[in-house]
Amino acid sequence: MTTAIVPAPLDVQRILESIDTMAAQKPVAAQIVARASADDTSAKELAAILAGDLPLAGRVTKLANSAYFGMSGRVSSLQFAIAVVGFMTVRTMATVALTDLDDESRLPEDFWLTSTHLAQAATMLAPRFGERPPDALCLGMLAQLGSALLHHNDPEGYAELVAEEPDLPSRRLAEERRYGIHAQRLTAVALEHWGFPRRMVAALYSLDDLTAPDGALLRVAFEVAARLSSRSHVPVPVGRLCGGLLTEDALDLVVERVRAEAGGLRLAMLG
Amino acid sequence: MPAMPATAEPLVPAEVVSSVFYGAAVSDSLVLLVVEVVDGTPRIAWGNEGATRLLGYGVADLQSLPVASLVPSLRGAEVGLLLRRERSARVDLSVRTASGALVQVVVLCTPTPSGRTWTLQLVPADSGSERVRQATAEIHERRLATLTERSPVPTVLSEQGMRLAHVNDAFCSLVGLHAEQLLGTGWMATVHPDDLDDVIEQVVAVLGGRDGEIRARLVRGDGTERTTVLRLSQLFTPGVGAGFVGTVEDVTDRLAVEARLAHQARHDPLTGLPDRTLLAEHVAERFRPGAGGLAVISLDLDDLTVVNESLGHAAGDELLVEVVTRLRATVRPGDLVARSGGDGFVVIGEDLDEGAAVTLAERIGAALAQSVRLGGVDVRPHASVGVTVQTTGHRTAEDLIRDGDIAVCQAKAGGKGRISVLDERARAGARDKLRLVAELREAIEGREITLLYQPILRAGDRAPVAVESLARWHHPLRGPVSPAVFVALAEEGGLIGVLGLLVLDETCRQLAEWDRVLGAAAPQRANVNVSALQLDDHLHGHVVAALERHGLHPSRLQIEITESALMEDPSSAREVLGRLRDLGVSLAIDDFGTGYSSLAYLRHLPVDVLKVDRSFVAELADGHPQIVSAVIALARSLDLTTVAEGVETDEQAAQLADLGAAYLQGFALARPMTGEAAAAWYAARTR
Repeated sequence: MTTAIVPAPLDVQRILESIDTMAAQKPVAAQIVARASADDTSAKELAAILAGDLPLAGRVTKLANSAYFGMSGRVSSLQFAIAVVGFMTVRTMATVALTDLDDESRLPEDFWLTSTHLAQAATMLAPRFGERPPDALCLGMLAQLGSALLHHNDPEGYAELVAEEPDLPSRRLAEERRYGIHAQRLTAVALEHWGFPRRMVAALYSLDDLTAPDGALLRVAFEVAARLSSRSHVPVPVGRLCGGLLTEDALDLVVERVRAEAGGLRLAMLG
Repeated sequence: MPAMPATAEPLVPAEVVSSVFYGAAVSDSLVLLVVEVVDGTPRIAWGNEGATRLLGYGVADLQSLPVASLVPSLRGAEVGLLLRRERSARVDLSVRTASGALVQVVVLCTPTPSGRTWTLQLVPADSGSERVRQATAEIHERRLATLTERSPVPTVLSEQGMRLAHVNDAFCSLVGLHAEQLLGTGWMATVHPDDLDDVIEQVVAVLGGRDGEIRARLVRGDGTERTTVLRLSQLFTPGVGAGFVGTVEDVTDRLAVEARLAHQARHDPLTGLPDRTLLAEHVAERFRPGAGGLAVISLDLDDLTVVNESLGHAAGDELLVEVVTRLRATVRPGDLVARSGGDGFVVIGEDLDEGAAVTLAERIGAALAQSVRLGGVDVRPHASVGVTVQTTGHRTAEDLIRDGDIAVCQAKAGGKGRISVLDERARAGARDKLRLVAELREAIEGREITLLYQPILRAGDRAPVAVESLARWHHPLRGPVSPAVFVALAEEGGLIGVLGLLVLDETCRQLAEWDRVLGAAAPQRANVNVSALQLDDHLHGHVVAALERHGLHPSRLQIEITESALMEDPSSAREVLGRLRDLGVSLAIDDFGTGYSSLAYLRHLPVDVLKVDRSFVAELADGHPQIVSAVIALARSLDLTTVAEGVETDEQAAQLADLGAAYLQGFALARPMTGEAAAAWYAARTR
């Protein structure tokens, strides 16, 4: 069988420019993405900005009251909701809104299923890898942002590419061939562009380097998501992905818990 | 130089621009590169000295170097991410030096307006203050994490709502689960479902900025419960949001000890029964005024003192334990059995009418009457049982319990082993008595108790030698109340002390008054009656104070004590009386012959006088002088003088004088009179 070589239909620069265009169309979300990282930002200040985007504000309040945060519906004010879910989560939700990730018709197949698997796995494993669970949650939620951007810009071509390359490493090579950049690096570029923390960006950059500790948590999270995926996947020994930090037995438990709990997270994040 | 238009912006002279650029070029701290696209490939066009130093290339080598070889981590089209056409970019990157080593830098890339060249500023990441600050913060965080991890105090940390980001080993041990099972909201399953709402409520308050503390039960992995105190503080991380740090104190064992102590404090240690306080609470919880159905069955063991004195206290304790076992076996489930005192028990039953309560009391009586073997002796424990059932007359729980006490007193008065139901008459009598005690208290406080004085005369020449003070109470409605009644009331109602002080003080005052009015003709001595309950360490002080207050010599006072009072606690009585005698106060035994005093013991008492009881004097009229005669002989043999009381006829007076009585007292000789009348009587006798 021969695979037709399709010339790269996209210019990375154009994709990045499209991000800027998105920001212009959704100023509140863009402002949240920009402000939420500042050390001097307060929940009160974020609430004041977020109040300008009622659907997003409603989603944050709903999330704070979801079973995921265990607050049993006691969060009544937006400001308190922001404090409960954390600034990074608010920022992640704003990023989701900004990039139209909440419109499933414009996303690759199983996008949110995989993203919630990634987020749940990363959150659960974060303490073991010395990472903060809230940051890990957001990294997991946004890790596939690049895929979504590629899909936005080349829906048919990207769907075909995904179908042909179910395994991540080979898919990344195919993405590089086709677009000059693979999806996770595009995610990294976008997050860096928006000023997300260096550690999150570094994790994405180091994804392919099995010796880099920065990418270990996300590599393992991707492995968990792959094992839970309906697509065929040859499991990669987890020890190789994280320098022996985790054993297969421990990972099995994580896979089971993620399988059980990711639905709740998805419901909480997306409504 | 042409003149500059007045409205134009001032231009920066070219030499200033040049010097600034030169300054930048030679600055040690700046690493600058200029990039241009040559034949479609971005290449270095120029680098300053800082750049040559950092990258290890000569200025010439640096020129024309493809940017891609400098930034190996940017592959293919990714170089375009750095060299944006219309905006600056900031990227963390590794740059490859001439030696092949990678150096971590932050690249700030600014396009020139032409869009064909870019200025790159490279800031070595290691020297950046931000990285230093971050590293320092990470070290602090790691130290804190280590500290918490090894702390024996169970500690949890949340970074989002109820979601735990961290639990230490001590917390895992406390709940018997692994950290993975507890992180996120997993730990919420360990909080007892009944306590979870309160814990969340507290977390809400803490996330809002307050500190919080709450007691909550945690359910361990093995299903056992631990009671803990959670102390929570807000943990606000700038740029992250609000979480909390919580320390958990396991108070299960402490509470168990406290509960045990509290139980011990309110339960009888021997039998484990609730004490009187708990009994009162139990009744109060169930008492509804106007309703019925509550029954109080009060028991007093009749034989406990006998068992204690004859078989020893261990046997007495054994008896009490046996009685409790039988009581518990006899009462209905839900009835309360309490210990109300040394030999007293109370059973509280609900939904009982009088008939059912009496039936239960009879069953109890029968169960107790079975013999029990104590120290090899068969003993049949009997109890006096009083039954009271709640009526509309009981306004409070205390009323009902008090009636239980009255009922058992009534049963005891009727003889051992009786069951007595408190009837309306007995209840009315008891209430009347309570009212009278209250009125007596008011009478004492208002000095409405008055004294009469009855002279005591020498038998030979009928010369007065002393007076006896006699307390009188004239009730405003009831008229005169007998001293036998109100003295007994004062003893029961705890008023005997104040009554005794009143009599002592008023007598001394009257003696001083007589001295002032009559001079040498005044009564030389007054006799004051003292109750058994006054025979304590305070009596001596009270007597001294009264004498001093009125300027009297101790010989002006004689204390009269009944024979039975002396025998209640003989050794204590001897000590108290000894001190009074040493003071110079003389002592008389009142109503002699009616008690059971041991003659051998009498010999050692510091008394001066025996007062022959009026009942023996009365027998003289019936031709029975034997007892009076024997008492007088006994007194003489012990070197004591005698006073014959209740002399009602001249014949008796003459006969008593013949029998050898030293002094006489009675209506035939002089009636009790007021202080004023006594003064007149004395004055008349002197004339």
